[in-house]
Parts: sequence; structure tokens; C-alpha cells
Amino acid sequence: MKERREKILKLENVHKSFGSKHVHRGVNLELNQGETIGLLGGSGTGKSVLLREIIGLEFIDKGKIIFKGQDIQNLNEKELQKIRLEISYSFQSGALFDSVNVFENIAYPLFEHTKMSLNEIRSKVAEILEMVDLKGIEELMPSDLSGGMQKRVGMARAMIMRPEIILYDEPTAGLDPTNTKNVVDIMKKMTCLGYSSIFVTHDIPAALELCQRLIILNDGIVAFNDGPEEFKKSNDPIVLKYKQEVHYAGSEGEK
Amino acid sequence: MINLKSLINFFLIMGEITRLFFQTIAASFTRPFYLSRVFEQINVLGVGSISITIVIGLTMGSVMTLNFGYGLMKFGGTMYVPAVVSLSLAREMAPLFTSLLIAGRIGSGMAAEIGSMNVTQQVDAIRALGTSPVRVLVVPRFWASVISLPLLSAISFIVGIFGGLVVCLHEFDMPTGFYMHKVTYTVQMADYLGGLIKSAIFGGIIAIIGCYKGLKTRDGTRGVGLSTTWVVVTSSITILITNFFISKLFIVFWG
Repeated sequence: MKERREKILKLENVHKSFGSKHVHRGVNLELNQGETIGLLGGSGTGKSVLLREIIGLEFIDKGKIIFKGQDIQNLNEKELQKIRLEISYSFQSGALFDSVNVFENIAYPLFEHTKMSLNEIRSKVAEILEMVDLKGIEELMPSDLSGGMQKRVGMARAMIMRPEIILYDEPTAGLDPTNTKNVVDIMKKMTCLGYSSIFVTHDIPAALELCQRLIILNDGIVAFNDGPEEFKKSNDPIVLKYKQEVHYAGSEGEK
Repeated sequence: MINLKSLINFFLIMGEITRLFFQTIAASFTRPFYLSRVFEQINVLGVGSISITIVIGLTMGSVMTLNFGYGLMKFGGTMYVPAVVSLSLAREMAPLFTSLLIAGRIGSGMAAEIGSMNVTQQVDAIRALGTSPVRVLVVPRFWASVISLPLLSAISFIVGIFGGLVVCLHEFDMPTGFYMHKVTYTVQMADYLGGLIKSAIFGGIIAIIGCYKGLKTRDGTRGVGLSTTWVVVTSSITILITNFFISKLFIVFWG
């Protein structure tokens, strides 16, 4: 029997358009406490936009995004800033501040939102860097890092405030197998620690390994919402089409 | 030909710039304060512009003296050169030319820096980490610019007077004592103050326009290039137009 967990995030009938392009036409989604869900879908289906809507970087045209009982769309910028300490966003590119070093990048939220001493911040940054397997790179500049390292530093920055939900925007995109494994291992650690997360990806094996639930966005709505086993077995035309599009060889074996 | 769409667009931009100005003022007087960032920006924007300010001040003072000197010589009015030059420098030339020059240097720099941050999602990262780009990026640049411009303008004035003195000594055999007496007798406190106030206002204009365009930059590196050009042109035109109205106000109130 499935464990019953508290819903911490709920999207109800979310609509979003950019000019004449309707990206979301009524997306419904729920995230439970401690759950990791994989958000799949072809390019341009609005997966990253959905993450940006959840954290309030984009405003929706219609619908509700409810986090802990409050609709994010009704909050002002100051209230959103508080929400963003509880929901963090790991950018696809890392989005590191390129004029400061790794330490200042990761320590940024601590300097801004806590009264910790410099020594406490230093030890906290060292701890999180060890967790993402990048010990001792505090003094390096973002330009000195490889793409994979930049993504992991970005993840470390997103995790440092111990948020309730982490939104990962294609963290494995463009990475070699070794770096992909490193990133997936970090996400596994976070899942084991009880963090809830939404994982936007095209990497089906990684999603199957990490997620308790997979969601496919297609034509602006949720076209599939079920567990990894159901995804593997599914004969739904949209799921099959998506698997073909991303060349998921595993799907053939599961039939 | 101006069409309705570009007219509406013009008013929209003016509205957004005005809103950014009020947001900046509001953020300046509420916690958290970023004093260290203001000093950092004063160093970058103000101290970094001293050498170019000296060059323009010296050139302005000497060229004006040369032209006025030979022009007035025909009517036997060479002795009025120190008064004319010093008054023009204090009221108009030093604040205006220094500001126009600085608009090219720091206004474009702000647009390029913030614009690059915008297109690489660093501005989004600032928001996603629970902080405000206006508070973090705009407020320090605004105040650094408002503080630095009057000081640079004062340097430009002093150097300009010195340039005029050198030309008067060598070209018109005017004694130093006579020149300095004429300068101090002609230029009143209101003239100095008017020039400084103007410079501070121009500093604010440069910073707000530069930051506004930086925050609005899209379309990658091409967008950054276009933004810098737009900022130099727009802030220069705004400074020139504003200068007329401020000069008129000063004449009405201070004579």
C-alpha cells in the first residue's frame, strides 16, 4: 500500500500564453512531501516555464499555484522572496554569478538571509561542496569550472538554504555519462534526505532511477501522470511517441 | 514618421523607467542596506572616471578660454574671459560635459554588465534566491552615480579653471592674481551649487536608464550590444533636455 503523504504543492488549471502561443492550457499537478517527480515532454512544451511559474519568476494567465495553502500568484514580490527560500531553483545553465568566486556564489543566500558568522558560512559552504563532490574549489571562479561542475555548484547554491522543494531544470542536459552520474547521485542524496523535488529532464533513465512519479506535458496539459513502472509499460500513444522522440531504447525492452 | 505604436511604446518605456526610479528610492530606505556595494560602485564608476574627467575639464577650460579670448580681443574685452569661462564652466559646461562623457562610460557599462547578467539568467538567480535585483544591482549603482557625478563635475570645473589660467597666462599675458580674482568674484555659491545639483540629477538619470535597459536586455550578446548603444543615446538626450529645464528653474529661483 502506498504511503499517504502531505501535498505541499498543487497546480490547478494553470494557463499561460506567450503572445499567440499557448504554453499551458490547464495544467494540474500535485507534489507530495518528500516526493521527486520527473517532468518530461518535448522541447517547447513549457516544462521550464512551469518551474518558473512555481517559483514566481513568471506569472500565469489563469489558475492557481498553491504552496502551503497560499496561492503564489496572489503574493507580492516581498512575499515571493520568502517563498523562494522554501522553493529553490537549480538553473539549467547553473546561472552562477560570473564576477565572484564559487564561495561567494554559494554563500550568497546565507549572507543575504541569515546572521551567520563568516566562519559558520565558510564551514557550511565547505560542507555542501563536499556533498556535491567538489571539495576545495571555493576560490575558483565560475569560468574556471567545467559545465558539469558549474551545474553542481548551482545545485549546491540552490540547496544551501535547506528548502522544502528543489526545482531542477534539466540538470543532466549536455553532460557526459560520468557527470550525469554525479548529478544523479547528488539528487538521490537529496531525495534520501527527504527533500521534495521536481526534475525537468529528457533523460528517461535518470528520471526512472530518481522519480516516484513521471509526468509528461503535451500540448499544454498533463498527458501522463503515473509511476515509473507504469511509464515503462504504458502503451499510451503520447508516451510511446515521447519515448521514440528521445530514443529511449529501454521502452522496447519493456514491451 | 512617428506612428501610434512607437508613441505608445515611448510612454510605456517612460513609465517603466519612472517606476524603476521610485522602486529604487523605496528600496534605498528599507532594510537590508548594501553600503559596501555602494562604495564598491563609487570606486568603479567614480574613481575609475577621474582620469577622463581631468582630460575633458582641461580641454574644455583651455579651448573655451582660447576662443573667448581671441573673440573678445577684437572688442577689447579680454579681461572678461576669466568671468565668462568660469561662469560657463560652473553652471553648464562642467556638469553637462562631464555627465555626457560619464553617460558614455558608466551608463553603457551598467547596461552591458546587468544586460549580460540578464541574458545568462543571473538576474533570475538573484530573484530565485529570494533577493531583489533592484536592491542588489540598481540601488548601489544609483547612489554611487548620484554621489560620484558632482565630485567628478567639481574636478572637471577646477581643472577647467586651471586650463583657462594656463591659456590666459601664455596667450594673453594675464596675471594669475587678476585671473583668480575675476573667477572668485564672478562665480557665486549658487552657481557652484547649481552645477553640483545638476550633476547629481544627471548621475541619477544615467544610472536609472543604464540599469533599466540592462534589466530589459534580451536576445543574447546582440541584445547587450544594442542595449549599450540605446543607453548612451537615450541618457545623453535625456541629460540635454533635462539640463534646459533645470537651468531655467535655477535662473527663475536663483537668478
